[in-house]
Amino acid sequence: MSDLQFEISQRPDFAILTVDLEQGQRIFAEPSAMAAMDPTITLKAGFKGGLKKTLGRALGGESLIINTFTADRGPGEVVFAPGAPGDAIHYELDRNTLYIQRGAFMCHSDGVELTGKWQGAKGFFSGKGLVLLKASGEGDIFFNSYGAILEIDVEDEYIVDTGYVVAFEDTLHYDVTTVPGMKVGGKLKTFFFGGEGLVVRFSGQGRVWVQTRAVNPFLTWVFPYRPQPSNN
Amino acid sequence: MQHEIVARPAASVVKLNLDAGETITCEVGAMLAMSTGIKVETTSGKKGGKGGGLMKGLKRMFSGENFFLNHFTADRAGQTLILGPQLMGDVVHHNLSGTLVVQGSSWLASEEGIEIDASWQGFGKALFSGESMFWVKCSGHGDLFLNSFGAIYEVNVDGGFTVDTGHIVAFEDTLQFKIGKAGASLIGSFLGGEGLVCKFTGQGKLYCQSHNPPSFGALLGPKLKAR
Repeated sequence: MSDLQFEISQRPDFAILTVDLEQGQRIFAEPSAMAAMDPTITLKAGFKGGLKKTLGRALGGESLIINTFTADRGPGEVVFAPGAPGDAIHYELDRNTLYIQRGAFMCHSDGVELTGKWQGAKGFFSGKGLVLLKASGEGDIFFNSYGAILEIDVEDEYIVDTGYVVAFEDTLHYDVTTVPGMKVGGKLKTFFFGGEGLVVRFSGQGRVWVQTRAVNPFLTWVFPYRPQPSNN
Repeated sequence: MQHEIVARPAASVVKLNLDAGETITCEVGAMLAMSTGIKVETTSGKKGGKGGGLMKGLKRMFSGENFFLNHFTADRAGQTLILGPQLMGDVVHHNLSGTLVVQGSSWLASEEGIEIDASWQGFGKALFSGESMFWVKCSGHGDLFLNSFGAIYEVNVDGGFTVDTGHIVAFEDTLQFKIGKAGASLIGSFLGGEGLVCKFTGQGKLYCQSHNPPSFGALLGPKLKAR
């Protein structure tokens, strides 16, 4: 059982996470996730878990550096805030594995091991495909969304657009594929849509967290507002 | 077709329950997640003009003038589909009976049986050049889902009501409208930051949004690299 004291407040649109550390307790976070902290907390930026794991995380879309916050001068709190407005979720790992989509990782406690998951062509060459981090071990992990988070308990099969997948349990089998019904012509369309149409097909039993907004559609929306290049 | 709008009001999405054979149409990209007993068919729509060949279509697509529609059809009972908009904001359900003119980016989805015409030019095209604004005319009977940038509010127009064009989500075509300037003089209106407004008269329902997408775009655009 976890002994980490925490509170997720300002839900669901502007969730932030406050962790209360006991003396000596540590938490490991994505750089830039920290919003505020007590002076009793020491921040140490650094590579964690050796070169291979560090590179794995980098391939998973997270930074090479993981920040370690230690309450070494007495108990204190650290506040973490996601980059995008949205929700935050706590998940307790109990010797199982959770996959987290690129950019959604916030922080984890001692006992959790975070590595990049090499997706091969499936993840990297599909452009906006699935780029995942793998969290395993025993402890607490926190992740965030852009927009709200919907929890979907898959019992058989379910399809989620790649851009909206936040995290899922490894009891689920997954495949990156196209939307059913899109055929050969659909391949072309998929290409021109810039990744839309690529979905993750989950099967088996387990939980998937889906966010209600995604970054790429927003960028597509902003695109026409970019300045026109000058002609001279 | 059963629906539930969740995560209101800032990050709203609509969850639909489809029975066998039921179809819902939305713009490509609106689908977040769905059950596996749903088939998707993609067709081309057009904004404010005639169709054309494939290359013309692609060209229009890149210039933001074309759009593609996805038609989701359940091939067995009890299928779920989750649809959401691009921007932060709300989703509302409108039980269509007649005709509603919807601002292009506010149209989320409509049930089969509702005719979607994206070539409606009632406001004139030149007025919105440079802003990726187009209008979708929805006619018929059935469930229609609209989304807003920010909050959404209804106005039951009875007489007259003036709205900045960027704040319009949708309006019933029982309303008459006239595009005009907010102030007494055209230059004065623009200098005052109030561009073109739509003056509605008559009786009918109007949906407005708290935030103006082109204003937000104009705020972000200059900070981005040129195309």
